[in-house]
Order: sequence, then C-alpha cells, then structure tokens
Amino acid sequence: MSRGARTRRPVWPGLWHFLTFGAPGITVYVCFVLAPIVVSFGYSLTNYNPFGPPTRFVGLRNYRLLMQDPEFLLSLRVTTILTVIVVVVPNVLGLAIAVVLDRRGWFYNALRTVFFTPVVLSTVVVSIIWIRLMADDGLINQALRGLGVAGPPGWLSDPAYALYSLGIILSWQMLGFCVVVYLAGLQGVPQDLQEAAAIDGAGPVSRFRHITWPMLAPALTINTVVMLISAFKVYDHVQVITKGGPGTGTTATVAYNVIQTGFVANRQGYASAMAIVMLVIIAVACAVALKILQRREVQL
Amino acid sequence: MTAMRGERAPWARPLTALAVGTIFFVPLYVACVNVIKEGPRIAREPASLPVPPTLDNLQAVLSRPDRLFWVSLTNSLIVTGLSVVILTVLSAMLGHYLVRSGGRWSRLVMLLLLCGLMIPPQVILLPITRVLATFHLMTTVQGLVLFNVGYYVPFGVFVFAGFMRSIPVELEEAAAIDGAGRWTVFWQVVFPLLRPATASVLIFLGVWIWNDFLNPLIILGPGQGTTVTTGVYRSIGQYQADFGGVFAMMFLATLPVLILYLLLQRHFVKGLTGGATKG
Repeated sequence: MSRGARTRRPVWPGLWHFLTFGAPGITVYVCFVLAPIVVSFGYSLTNYNPFGPPTRFVGLRNYRLLMQDPEFLLSLRVTTILTVIVVVVPNVLGLAIAVVLDRRGWFYNALRTVFFTPVVLSTVVVSIIWIRLMADDGLINQALRGLGVAGPPGWLSDPAYALYSLGIILSWQMLGFCVVVYLAGLQGVPQDLQEAAAIDGAGPVSRFRHITWPMLAPALTINTVVMLISAFKVYDHVQVITKGGPGTGTTATVAYNVIQTGFVANRQGYASAMAIVMLVIIAVACAVALKILQRREVQL
Repeated sequence: MTAMRGERAPWARPLTALAVGTIFFVPLYVACVNVIKEGPRIAREPASLPVPPTLDNLQAVLSRPDRLFWVSLTNSLIVTGLSVVILTVLSAMLGHYLVRSGGRWSRLVMLLLLCGLMIPPQVILLPITRVLATFHLMTTVQGLVLFNVGYYVPFGVFVFAGFMRSIPVELEEAAAIDGAGRWTVFWQVVFPLLRPATASVLIFLGVWIWNDFLNPLIILGPGQGTTVTTGVYRSIGQYQADFGGVFAMMFLATLPVLILYLLLQRHFVKGLTGGATKG
C-alpha cells in the first residue's frame, strides 16, 4: 500500500534530497572554507594578535600598510618570478617531451612513468632530495667541478641563485603533469588529418602549427591554470629548503609570509590582510587566464 | 634513400627520449640508491652505486627509540583513510543532489564549490585554528580530518557530478518502481556505476592528503603527532648529518604512494586527463 503510494512521488523529493544528500557536504564546505574566508576578511580589518594589545577595528589600515611594506612587496616579486617560471618551463618542456614520447610501446610508457613520478611524491621528499643535489658540495657541483668549472655557484646558498634554483625544483616536480596532459591531448589529434595534410605537402613544422597546436588548446588551458594555482601557493618547498633565505626574504613567497606573520609572529590581523590580497590575486589571475585560453578553444 | 622519406632518423626519437629521461631520472636515482648506502659515503659520493648495500639506514629508522616512523605512519594511515572514506561518501551524495535537483540554486552551489578548487589553505587556516581550538580539536587527528573533508569536498563533488550526468535518471526511477528505498537506489544501484569516479577520488585525494605538509604541520602541530611528511621534516631538523636515516625515512614514507601509483597508473592518467581531450 504505502509502497505503491511512494512510487508515484518523485524518487528524490526536493527537501528530503537536500537535507540528506546535499546538506552534509554543503555544511562542511561552508564551515571549513567559505565561513573562514569571511572571518579572515573580518580579521584583516583588525589589529588581532592573540598575544598583543586588545583587538580593535582598524578599517583598511592593514591593507594600506601592506602596500608600503617592503617585505610584502618583495614577497610579491618573488612569487611572481616563481609563478612565471613554473607556468612557462613545465609547459614548454612538457609539450616538447610529450611530442617526443607520443608513440606506443613499453619504452615510451616507462618513460612516461618516470616523468610523472615526481608529481605523486611529497613536496617534502622532493625538497630534501634537491637540498642534497644542490648543496655546495652536492652532486651538481661535484659534476661541475669534474667538468672543470672552478667555482660552481652555491645554488641554494647564494641569494642571486636561490630563487631560480627553487624554480628549477618546482618545474622538475610539476613537469610530469604537463607531459601527461599534453600526451592525452596529442592522442586526441586524428591521425587521418595529419596524413591528409602531409599528402597536401605540409611539412612537420607547419602540420604542428596548424593542426596539432590548435587541437592542444584544452590541454594548454588545464596546464596553465593548474601551474598558475600551484605556483602561487608555493609554501612547502620554501619552508623545507630555504626558509625564505638566503639573506632576507630572497625566496619568501606570499604564501610563506602569511604563515610566518600569522603563526610565528602572531600578527593575525595583518597576516589575514595578506591572505586576502593573495586570494584576490589568484582569483583575478585565474579568471583572466581562463578567459583568454578558453576563447582560443572556442575559436577552433 | 627510402629511409629518408618516412622518418629521417629512426633512432633520433628513442635516443632523445632516453637522454632526456635519464637526466630527469637522476634525482630519483639518488633518492633510491642512498637508502641502501653506508651513511658516511652519501655526502661524499651521492651518485655512486650502493656497493656493498646495507640495510642499516632502514633498520635505524624502523627501530628509533621515539618510534617517529611508526607514529607518523599510523597517523598518516588514520588521517588519510578516514578523510578519504568520508569524502567519498559526502561528495558522491552532494554530487548526486546537485546533478539531480538541477536549477539555479544548485548551479550556484556548484560555482561556489568550483571556486574552492583554487583557494590556498593559507587563506582559511588562521580562522580554522581558532574554531578547532574552541572545540578542543587542535592537535587532534579528528580536527585534521574535519579540515580535510571541508577543504577537499569541492574536488570530490566535481569528479562525481561530472560522472553522474552520464547516468540516466530512468534507471533510478525503475529501481524505485521495483520497490527499492531511496538509500538502496543510491548505494546499490547508482553508486556501483560511479566506480571510475570513485577510483579517481580515492586515488587523487589519497595521494594529496598523504603528501600534505602545511595542514598537518599547523593543525597537528610539530610536537604532538606527526604524519609521514611532517615526520620526515622533523627528522632532517634533528639529525642534520645523518643522511642515511633521512633517505631511508623518505623512502619508507613514500613507499605506499609509490606502490599505489605503479599499480594504478592507468587510473592516474585517466582521471587527470579526462578534460584534456574533450574539445
């Protein structure tokens, strides 16, 4: 009886569906992501410091101070340089390697496995491996000395090199991601299109430019946006490898400074302002990148 | 002459691939050989073959008096296991709700969730530590699991919702007409069909949460409990010169992920490139 009545109603009545299926997930997300962002913004308008003077509302003062804070401006510069390296290097090398690996067989599969392995390794593990490789007496400098270079650079100890060394390490870890995404894109390029163009006399370079490259547009979008987001929040490598040094702040990213200011110096109001600025920059950068890249995809 | 027409130099491709792959492989090689090399030789000759091999480094890590490795491993297993199971259940259900109910409201929720994919933890950690402290959940595994669930639910929903669209609603209606209750319809009819999505969610979130460094560092704290990543980090602080121990600890901490990756490679690649091939 009741069973017959139930089937006439929709399988998922709206309110029941929301309360049992929707609400739990939405609740944790709101509690642990959305609400904290709002609270962070609230903190950023105060001088909140759990060990400091009583908290009071200071309006936009933290943001004004940020714009004149040389430490923060330096961290913006550091983050921008790292982001440019990490968006460009793994994308370019990843595409080149994907083109080389775009063949069937165990040999190419094995190499793909090698390139992707660093992606699944922990940032801490990758950082420690490279600390040893780039140490003043590490493998890289031993090799350079063996090749006759008299004074090889202190990759991580010289302020002029450390940031770029970090860029190399990050690129090494992310490269496999780009390779795999480009490989999947390449495998989606129809073979008969390539052959038809070859018969019409198109050389490999012009085939790549006019057929392969446009068809890789979605892969380029994914790689660029993922690299952008990952590069902008780089914290782990800095914390483990350089602690923001050598010197003052030569490798301190914004993400690193937020944690230092908020949890080590306990200036939580000021750190929150930094975090909000960081969030706005990421959101704007992603929106712009997506807009430009997806327009390319549509034009196909 | 004929060879010139097809591929001009048939060896160029495999040789280039091998050369680039070898250079790229060097750091991984160094990480592996030094696990079974005698401690003092590691700094002097990082790339030499580990002859004769030694198990001293591994043994030292496994039998440390403070049981750092075993404590870290236990914490990582509990945190990763609990987070991933709860995330799978919650995001499969939320994904189902958003896809089936449709409409403007669920599109808005979906959009808010998508934004969550790019939010760096730095932006939310300060308030979250306050909230967790209020409920006495700071420095507890439960606190970290709760945070993980909230932070990674967007990814889970994103994967499940994408897959759910390919499952016809008629299937659910047919099962309901046959007399199955709603929970039965979802868990015994729909959920088994979502297996590829479940695999993606388990694999990716499993690896991310296992490898996570910042959140356990802040929420579990350095002293109370360590996960494998914060454990490795602590071990470099304590024994700066004992590279053998550090390499062995890193190897053991990575082993579960590495095995998972080598066994399920196909899923890794498929999950990652689903969007790359669609035009």
